[in-house]
Amino acid sequence: MRTLISVLAALSVVGATVPVRAHHAFAAEFDAKKPIKLEGTVTRVEWINPHAWIHIDVKRSDGTIEKWMIEGGTPNTLFRRGVNKNSLPVGTVIIVDGYQAKDGTLKGNGRDITFPDGRKLFIGSTGTGAPGDPQAPPK
Amino acid sequence: MMHRFARTTMIVAGVLLAGSTLAGQAPAGRGLARTPWGDPDLQGLWTNATITPFERPASLSGKEVLTEREAAEYEKEALETRNADNRGGGTDADLGRAYNQFWYDRGTKVVGTRRTSLVVDPPDGRVPPLTPDAQQRAAARAEARRRSPADGPEDRSLAERCILWPTAGPPMIPGGYNNNYQILQAPGYVVILTEMIHDARIIPLDGRPHAPSGIRQWMGDSRGRWDGHTLVVTTTNFTDKTNIRGSGPNMRLVERFTRVDADTIDYQFTVDDPASFTRSGTAAIPMTKTEGPIFEYACHEGNYGMTNLLRGARAQEK
Repeated sequence: MRTLISVLAALSVVGATVPVRAHHAFAAEFDAKKPIKLEGTVTRVEWINPHAWIHIDVKRSDGTIEKWMIEGGTPNTLFRRGVNKNSLPVGTVIIVDGYQAKDGTLKGNGRDITFPDGRKLFIGSTGTGAPGDPQAPPK
Repeated sequence: MMHRFARTTMIVAGVLLAGSTLAGQAPAGRGLARTPWGDPDLQGLWTNATITPFERPASLSGKEVLTEREAAEYEKEALETRNADNRGGGTDADLGRAYNQFWYDRGTKVVGTRRTSLVVDPPDGRVPPLTPDAQQRAAARAEARRRSPADGPEDRSLAERCILWPTAGPPMIPGGYNNNYQILQAPGYVVILTEMIHDARIIPLDGRPHAPSGIRQWMGDSRGRWDGHTLVVTTTNFTDKTNIRGSGPNMRLVERFTRVDADTIDYQFTVDDPASFTRSGTAAIPMTKTEGPIFEYACHEGNYGMTNLLRGARAQEK
């Protein structure tokens, strides 16, 4: 008969092997060899399915502006949690940590999106079980 | 697009027809809600989100049910290890996780039975092995993907093409997000509205035969009947591209919906597909009441991802 500890050890292995699944094979769309880290100002958000797109202006060191499009997930999940079109207003500065599109255009996935002070975007969302989620089980 | 247009037309026609068809005989009840015409009432918004895995992991072989304490630990572990905010495992794994945890919504609890898999039969909690024929089909699909991974949209999955999500059903299995369903009833009909990819499955209850075998549909062809207070839905006539973990076009799917209390439907399905699996298999996935509204998922309209990944493939060919 298994002890509790051996079951829990097995559970740890389980969780680590369960894949996350997005709508697309992001590996087909973005290049794991082209990591990006961008600080930019939100100019528009397309709250569309299957995936939301956040448009940002990124100021380069030479003063020029690059217009990037950043892919997120389904807006349905966020709408259900009370996030709406006012939650990410134009002019907000965000930092995007992700990967650039394989075709070399100024598109990327928003692997991590944070504010300049380090707070995560939508961190107040409930029901995700994510760290900071008020509904997450206590550690 | 033609498929979607045709399906939408059928949905409208089905709903119009629904009001004019007589109900089947009302079954004996258990004091649960009934529709005005006497059928058990399954209507409402439901979710099947859970962190219980579909198949029992090899590491839990022989462990069918968790104790309460183990279940609590499992939930804690799973929420941490599956958290998409974790960024270990190299850049390929990191890109595979796609985006932060806040976009995901796969639930935070194990199923109420605390079983270690949603598959309840075979007893090992695993999907039965594929037949040699099904293995051959899987190998042919893998070879086609290797040969032409993204020459055109048809090379990509039905999910990426916004046609059918592989877990949205039938049969209905939890996925990463949008695990929401709305069940509507009219005399002689049940409609299951699926949030993911936004489908409406119209199920006649009047005993009519299935469509001729030459008629094939992405979601198959469903027929329902009441067995006591359980709705039994049989679905056949799938396409050769509708692939549920290796199933083929002649899969016969039987789903059973039983309202066990105000907030729970006991949903079970059995797959019978001797051309694909060495034996039949059954899964049990409770559906629980959830808050509305259910949102439209206008997938095709915003599917920039398809363009981007085809452009990516062209760029890499240079």
